[in-house]
Amino acid sequence: MKSQKPPPQEDDEGEVLDRVPRSAAALPSGAPSDLELMEGIQRENPEALSQLYDRYNGILKALILRVIHNEAEADDLLQEIFMEIWNQAKNFSAQRGKPLGWMVTLARRRAIDGLRKKQAYARAEERLQQETEQQPDAWVHNSTEEEILDGDRRVLIRRVIGVLPPAQQQAIELAFFRGMSQREIAAKTNTPLGTVKTRLELGLKKIYYGLKELRDEL
Amino acid sequence: MSFEEFQNRARLFVIGALEPDEMAEFENARREFGEKAEAFITECYALSEAFALSLKPAKASGQIKARLMEMVKNRQAH
Repeated sequence: MKSQKPPPQEDDEGEVLDRVPRSAAALPSGAPSDLELMEGIQRENPEALSQLYDRYNGILKALILRVIHNEAEADDLLQEIFMEIWNQAKNFSAQRGKPLGWMVTLARRRAIDGLRKKQAYARAEERLQQETEQQPDAWVHNSTEEEILDGDRRVLIRRVIGVLPPAQQQAIELAFFRGMSQREIAAKTNTPLGTVKTRLELGLKKIYYGLKELRDEL
Repeated sequence: MSFEEFQNRARLFVIGALEPDEMAEFENARREFGEKAEAFITECYALSEAFALSLKPAKASGQIKARLMEMVKNRQAH
């Protein structure tokens, strides 16, 4: 753990993610920030965990579901992850990033571990294959009218991701939501390893800059 | 490795997509660039955040929170 946040960088990419959306939604006036809730959990205040759960259980459940594709297992894992947030909160450092980023990293790792441990990988792969065949762009489908009316950040982020060519989206989805290595992605998509690497690098870079533009618009 | 190459690798790193043989080179560059590298990696975690936020929130079972808070209560009691 680093104890000090380094000063802003002078290169053109260094400041970009300072402008990335910082929380899931605008908070009601007077509501504690994510960081204040994390500090509350670090002081072992259950109410802080309760509020953090209310704020993010839907997002983390969606992330877990995207990995393991099983409602009951996702609920169990969600509970375990929030318990781990409670137990590991002392390891969180605001100098290393924001609470949501920390929670997403933790949840993703646990979900991918859970998927592999339960040996459900093959079954989930089969389900993923079926989904991919049925809806090739399932991660970032066209927004429904309801979603657009919601006007929330999710729609805007999906728009940024949706600009990517399908092959780049697929590579990123397989890496992030399935925990696949570049070699595994290459094998699964029957694509040369170098092409997979290029797709990942280009896709992530485009999203990085797309998020910057999004932040500028908000 | 140039800093631009390091930035490409850092974005792969935060989503867990660096290959094992790339990791050593990345870690060397990370040490070489020092605080500048750490700052960039920290900022790259916003990519993970955005990927999670791109999903439509899912409804968790109503029992999960009750069980969670009960576990926390028991943990504090011991």
